[in-house]
Amino acid sequence: MGIVEEAHNVKVLGSGDRVTVLAHGFGTDQSVWKHLVPHLVDDFRVVLFDNMGAGTTNPDYFDFNRYATLEGYAFDLLAILEELRVESCIFVGHSVSAMIGAIACISRPDLFSKIIMMSASPRYLNDVDYYGGFEQEDLDQLFEAMGANYKSWCSGFAPLLVGGDMESVAVQEFSRTLFNMRPDIALSVAQTIFQSDMRQILSLVTVPCHILQSVKDLAVPVVVSEYLHQNLSSESIVEVMTSDGHLPQLSSPDIVIPVLLKHIRYDISTV
Amino acid sequence: MRAGLSTIQQTLTPEAASVLNHSIAEASRRNHGQTTPLHVAATLLASPSGFLRQACIKSHPNSSHPLQCRALELCFSVALERLPTAQSANSGGSPALDPPISNALMAALKRAQAHQRRGCPEQQQQPLLAVKVELEQLIISILDDPSVSRVMREASFSSPAVKATIEQSLNSTSSNSANTAGPIGLGFRPVIAPASTVAAPSANRNLYLNPRLQQGAASQQRSEEVKRVIDIMMRSKKVNPVLVGDSEPELIVKEILRKIESKEIDGVLRNVEVVHVEKDFTLDKTQMVAKIKELSTKVGAMIGNLDCGGVILDLGDLKWLVENHQAIGLAGGVKQQQQTVLEAGRAAVVEMGKLLGRFGEGSARVWLIGTATCETYLRCQVYHPSMESDWDLQAVPIAARAPSPGMFSRLGSNGILGCSVESLSPLKGFATTTAQPRQTSENFDPSRKTGCCPQCMQNYKQDLAKLLAAKEFEQSSSELTRPALPQWLQNAKAHDSDVKTVDQTQTKDQEVIWTQKTQDLQKKWNDTCLQLHPNFHQPSIGSERFAPAALSMMSYNSSLLGRQPFQPKLPLCKNIGETLQLNPHLVASQPMERTSSPPGSPVKTDLVLGRPKTIEITPDRTDKERLQDFLGRIPSEPQNKLQDLQSNKLLNTSAESFKKLVKGLVEKVWWQRDAASAVATTVTQCKSGNGKWRGSCSKGDIWLLFSGPDRVGKKKMASALSDQVCGAHPFVICLGSRRDNGESDVSFRGKTVVDKIAEVVRRNPFSVVVLEDIDEADMLVRGSIKRAMERGRLADSHGREISLGNVIFILTANWMPSDLNFTSNGISLDEKKLASLASGGWQLRLSLCEKTAKRRASWLHEEDRATKPRKESGSLSFDLNEAADVEDDKAADGSHNSSDLTVDHEEHGLTNRLLSSSTSSSASHELLNTVDEVIVFKPADFGPIRRDISNLITKKSCNIIGNKVTIEIVDEALEKITSGVCIGRTGLEEWTEKALVPSLRQLKTQMPTSEESLVVRLELDSESCNRSHGDWLPSSVKVVC
Repeated sequence: MGIVEEAHNVKVLGSGDRVTVLAHGFGTDQSVWKHLVPHLVDDFRVVLFDNMGAGTTNPDYFDFNRYATLEGYAFDLLAILEELRVESCIFVGHSVSAMIGAIACISRPDLFSKIIMMSASPRYLNDVDYYGGFEQEDLDQLFEAMGANYKSWCSGFAPLLVGGDMESVAVQEFSRTLFNMRPDIALSVAQTIFQSDMRQILSLVTVPCHILQSVKDLAVPVVVSEYLHQNLSSESIVEVMTSDGHLPQLSSPDIVIPVLLKHIRYDISTV
Repeated sequence: MRAGLSTIQQTLTPEAASVLNHSIAEASRRNHGQTTPLHVAATLLASPSGFLRQACIKSHPNSSHPLQCRALELCFSVALERLPTAQSANSGGSPALDPPISNALMAALKRAQAHQRRGCPEQQQQPLLAVKVELEQLIISILDDPSVSRVMREASFSSPAVKATIEQSLNSTSSNSANTAGPIGLGFRPVIAPASTVAAPSANRNLYLNPRLQQGAASQQRSEEVKRVIDIMMRSKKVNPVLVGDSEPELIVKEILRKIESKEIDGVLRNVEVVHVEKDFTLDKTQMVAKIKELSTKVGAMIGNLDCGGVILDLGDLKWLVENHQAIGLAGGVKQQQQTVLEAGRAAVVEMGKLLGRFGEGSARVWLIGTATCETYLRCQVYHPSMESDWDLQAVPIAARAPSPGMFSRLGSNGILGCSVESLSPLKGFATTTAQPRQTSENFDPSRKTGCCPQCMQNYKQDLAKLLAAKEFEQSSSELTRPALPQWLQNAKAHDSDVKTVDQTQTKDQEVIWTQKTQDLQKKWNDTCLQLHPNFHQPSIGSERFAPAALSMMSYNSSLLGRQPFQPKLPLCKNIGETLQLNPHLVASQPMERTSSPPGSPVKTDLVLGRPKTIEITPDRTDKERLQDFLGRIPSEPQNKLQDLQSNKLLNTSAESFKKLVKGLVEKVWWQRDAASAVATTVTQCKSGNGKWRGSCSKGDIWLLFSGPDRVGKKKMASALSDQVCGAHPFVICLGSRRDNGESDVSFRGKTVVDKIAEVVRRNPFSVVVLEDIDEADMLVRGSIKRAMERGRLADSHGREISLGNVIFILTANWMPSDLNFTSNGISLDEKKLASLASGGWQLRLSLCEKTAKRRASWLHEEDRATKPRKESGSLSFDLNEAADVEDDKAADGSHNSSDLTVDHEEHGLTNRLLSSSTSSSASHELLNTVDEVIVFKPADFGPIRRDISNLITKKSCNIIGNKVTIEIVDEALEKITSGVCIGRTGLEEWTEKALVPSLRQLKTQMPTSEESLVVRLELDSESCNRSHGDWLPSSVKVVC
């Protein structure tokens, strides 16, 4: 097993001609796809991996400089694809990973046949003519809380983000993976993500994008998906799902999995 | 020694020679006895934008701060200070001779030369003088010098790492094919230093890899360093190591101490206690002396213990001796503080010295171990000069980790995107500097010059290809043992010196055999050619060639040019293809011929450009032109050379060569006369350094934008230009949606357009590259191209940058400046239609027949064309230009291109289109401004072209057969000829001379003498169709009586 595969806990499951890469977002790891994977393994080669900084990765490998921008993660993604000699893949990116995929596909459009963006946002901060859902003060408070007491921040943040009560399985699950992260790394990752502004690159994307979005999501307002649709230079399609929360694949798999499967299996013209 | 020097300088390229000169001057200034590699290194480092400096910065794994280089400079200047000065010679005050070159430097120069010769792959051993040592090679061999390495180590730079960086940059710009074919490139050298041990496990390293993941690889290096430190501690003098370096030396100390504490080490270090003292000292400087005294007692007690074999004092980072943390932020009193720190430090040094002295003897010893950054250690040396000897210290430089993985290692914080593209390429600084000399040297490769006529050349190439295939197979099979790598990594691996050392000798042998084989093959074909086609080798058309090297040689002894008499020997060599096997004698003699030959006598500089595969020698190209081409490429105009070594000023364009170029272009594309002359003007101007952007920096690349709807004309012009300038086909890359030509190379599949361009440029640094339909290219591609224009370098999608070399780029677009008046009322040239007409292996015949009363009025008439059944009637319509039918279907601007009555309408529509396209993409405007010249192609009509052709044919036949017999050209035939001329590469004149004229002559001999009523008919010959595929025009015309 290569060094990259090991470091990112890469798992390749299933069989098929086509490759689907599932990339998790902030505070989770590849287990976030557990409801989806069983439906894919018959038709696809499914690549699962953990982003650097996730609780399941070795914190020694987390280079704060490298991961100060999303490009660091994009390089990791490309490294994995190169290592596995993937020639073309369907990339499913959740949350920040959707943007990571977008960056990577600008660099290597040949590697991506399409990108499925789940709960993606090019920018979380509000701006003139742009509604991202957060004000700088919100974020400052968030970072402060993270730095002050990570544990309690986790237990507060998880239900908010997942959109359920503390007792629900999804929230428990998310809290677990979130708390698995080393606090300083989590803070750095969160800062990188929430301060990122990927609006400029949207016009450089040439790979078809499927934008999936929960109707109610604390982190990503629904208008953002429309913004993506408008600003991506490639073909794109938006589907707003009736699910709730930022991690709908975990919290409402019954709604989300069929939609995801549909978008993985069919291209924009046939969806 | 003086004589030696001038000989040496002749083996160097101008840049390298000037570095050497500066070094000698520096040595002389410092009054040194000899010029050593240190002087050269210091000189190389001195220029702020220097190559070495950048390589040093890049090679440094942790920091790319320029300050690092400052430290390096300091170290070098210290090292230079230490050199002995010349004792006697200069004391007289007379400006004595320059300090001679030291043996070490001489060795380095020889190494450089050897590497340079070896660095040129796939060729026979070159004559010694034909190889010029490039700056990069000089740097590399200077880095190999032990004294230089040592100084670099002192400044915590690893010379192997720096070397690796340079080699990487060299390889990345040098010809790809050569490097992938056989690992005999520049990286082909055993690297002795630790860097290579790191490189080994990383053979299949991923370009995008997180550098942190390579820590495993580093551990090996670390263990070596641990061993070195322990060796130091075991010896009897200078036993106290200080690990100097910026790459976490404390980790190594930790490792050593762990080993010692866990008793893993035998010998004197077996029963040794470790005391960590750093913490005691960092907090309060004033207490340091007291602390050390305390420590001394403690150590005494420990040693008193019988079990104890000694004590190691871990001093930690020595910065506590020279820095004061408390001082930070206190504006006032900083100096004061600093003073006290220094005093305290001095006292501490003395006290520690005492401690060591006290326990220095006896069975139990006391060791010190510490770490320092390069800067700290330098400071220690400055502020506490006695410390090194008092403490019995030995500085152990900790080599920076090898940078080879680090193509992207610092990329995390940089970017893939937007403006940060620049940062994507760590080699950016190098690209331009390296590429130029490399490409020049590629021309020096004599194996690529073959003295054959095109036909034999073709055969030779085929054989060569077979050989090459066989060779590649051999190699690939030998490589099977290694893990397969993705294609893009192969390159990187080729640099991996460690892998290489293993099979170095083997490949070397293979390489020798290979060169031998190629040579034999070449010889074989040259001989065959000489026998088969003696004409080609006649002085009249045969080209007598001398290698470019000969000319640049001249630059050093141009004074000879005037004097030397014509060498009578030359005609002997002239006709022989073997002349190419350049030898020093010819080098000396041939330039003579050039200057002494009377004007107009055929002296040819056949510069073979690009890959051999694409070479086609056009024998009728004029000497001047060739010489011009050649001089345009090599920035060494002999006459100026001595006065102005640095100057890249190219030969002034002589009006004559310009005219030749125009003539060549006009001959092929006569219907675009204005455009042809514009192209010629721009190209000659740019080559002489007067291009739009050539004011300050001279770039070899030329950018032309062919705009206008005459697709065929643009294509033909590009091909003609390529033929004139490089004697080869242009490389055509389509940026738009049009994919009609079957030129899609298999190797390009799955590559982005920019990668394709990069690939082509990399392989053919002297060529014409046509980027078709730039107006249809997507924004990304246009952006890259624009950046490439501005910067002279092209970044591919991996972020690797390549220099554009001397490529002439031709962008084609359908835009027209909107103010252009159209004067078209004929049929536009439709490429597809022409192609379908010209294809099909048609033949022509000339026949005699009775003059009929019902002669066609005019073959120019279009009416019968309309009656012909056509599939693509839409495209046949009388549209003004092709632009209209490209995408306009969607545009729905009301234009239907239906008839010639709609000229105004049409024009209007076109203008609209232009407006809309230009507003929609500001990039197009930017492109217009960035290219060297925009060349407008008028919409072309089919009619006049056909008329020209028929006129010409009629004229020819009149000349040959006489006025009495008229020639009638059958419409279909004329149409086919026209299409063939337009699409193919052959010029009209050329074709008529070659194919038609002989047949006309033949016809004349067979013609009955006094037959007034005869008509010669040029028509299609349906019976024979055995024409070789690929030609658009028949090579001969059958005569039927």
